[in-house]
Amino acid sequence: MDIIVIAIIIVILFSLGSALVGMIRGGEKGSDKMFKALRVRVSLSVFLFILLMFASFMGWIEPNNVLPTQ
Amino acid sequence: MSNQNYYIPHGTYWPIIGSIGISTTFVGFANLLHDVSWGAPVMGLGLTILVFMLFGWLGTVVNESISGTYNKQVDRTFRWGMSWFIFSEVMFFAAFFGALFYARILSVPWLDGAGNNMFTPELWEGFKAAWPLINTPGAIGQSGTAFSTGFELVNPWGLPAINTALLLSSGVTITYAHHALRNDHRNALIAWMIATIVLGVLFLGFQITEYGHAYHEGLKLTSGIYGSTFYLLTGFHGFHVTVGAIMLTVILYRIQKGHFNSENHFAFEGVAWYWHFVDVVWLGLFVFVYWL
Repeated sequence: MDIIVIAIIIVILFSLGSALVGMIRGGEKGSDKMFKALRVRVSLSVFLFILLMFASFMGWIEPNNVLPTQ
Repeated sequence: MSNQNYYIPHGTYWPIIGSIGISTTFVGFANLLHDVSWGAPVMGLGLTILVFMLFGWLGTVVNESISGTYNKQVDRTFRWGMSWFIFSEVMFFAAFFGALFYARILSVPWLDGAGNNMFTPELWEGFKAAWPLINTPGAIGQSGTAFSTGFELVNPWGLPAINTALLLSSGVTITYAHHALRNDHRNALIAWMIATIVLGVLFLGFQITEYGHAYHEGLKLTSGIYGSTFYLLTGFHGFHVTVGAIMLTVILYRIQKGHFNSENHFAFEGVAWYWHFVDVVWLGLFVFVYWL
């Protein structure tokens, strides 16, 4: 499960980077590339969030213990 | 335009005002750290000068842009300028995420004798590698001291998840705003921009609540390497959301002034990308701090 989550994050980072390249290039082509890449990154992020919640619900993944109980 | 390729700016007083603002801020801050009574007001004055300079200088640039002074070459320099700024931001967060991963995966297990650092267990007898590590070895130091006390589970459906949902929604709304701008749907653009800003501000409100909760539960900046990295990462992220929300508000103001159209809207693109970046940083925080 961890590997799937990390793999999705890498693809999100890749699409964010791709959007950056489009933005730097500018013009109609660059602007299109930027918008499409950002759409991919938003969709994947929402998908990852839902996947995490579903995996937690199914017991496939456990949250970290982060608050001390002293 | 002075030249076909390069826009040569006129003489301007904003850089010297910026220098005075920065100097005044640091003189005030240094004296504030020495408990000098006039430190805080002088620092406040410096920050006021800086804000004045930002308004004035950026206002000049905006006026030059809408008066048609800039050509394609200037447009490219803006894009490259933004990309260098983004590069510094990526490196900034890479350093803090790097610190988190380094401590968690490498240095904390080393203190427990993992890897080839065979002498380290003798430094702090009784140290057991655990994550999160909320007591700094050496600060406590004696054998038998609990370095990592018990932890309770954070409810995955609690505040961190609500905040993630809020910020992800703001990513969706700014994408709709972007789409509306590209199709010249002005009213939809304004509505989606307002929704994005409101979601960002809500995120900040919940983040402050979350800090209060964590602090009350005993998680502080001094709570070992975990407390330090937790507050540095989430704190700087919150600062970036604040800056992003201010930039979005400026863009909304400029949209209402009619500064952008479907073909010419680099300022919007720059801020939108920045917002997506801040969103992805949070997603990384949410996954690596709360889940993996």
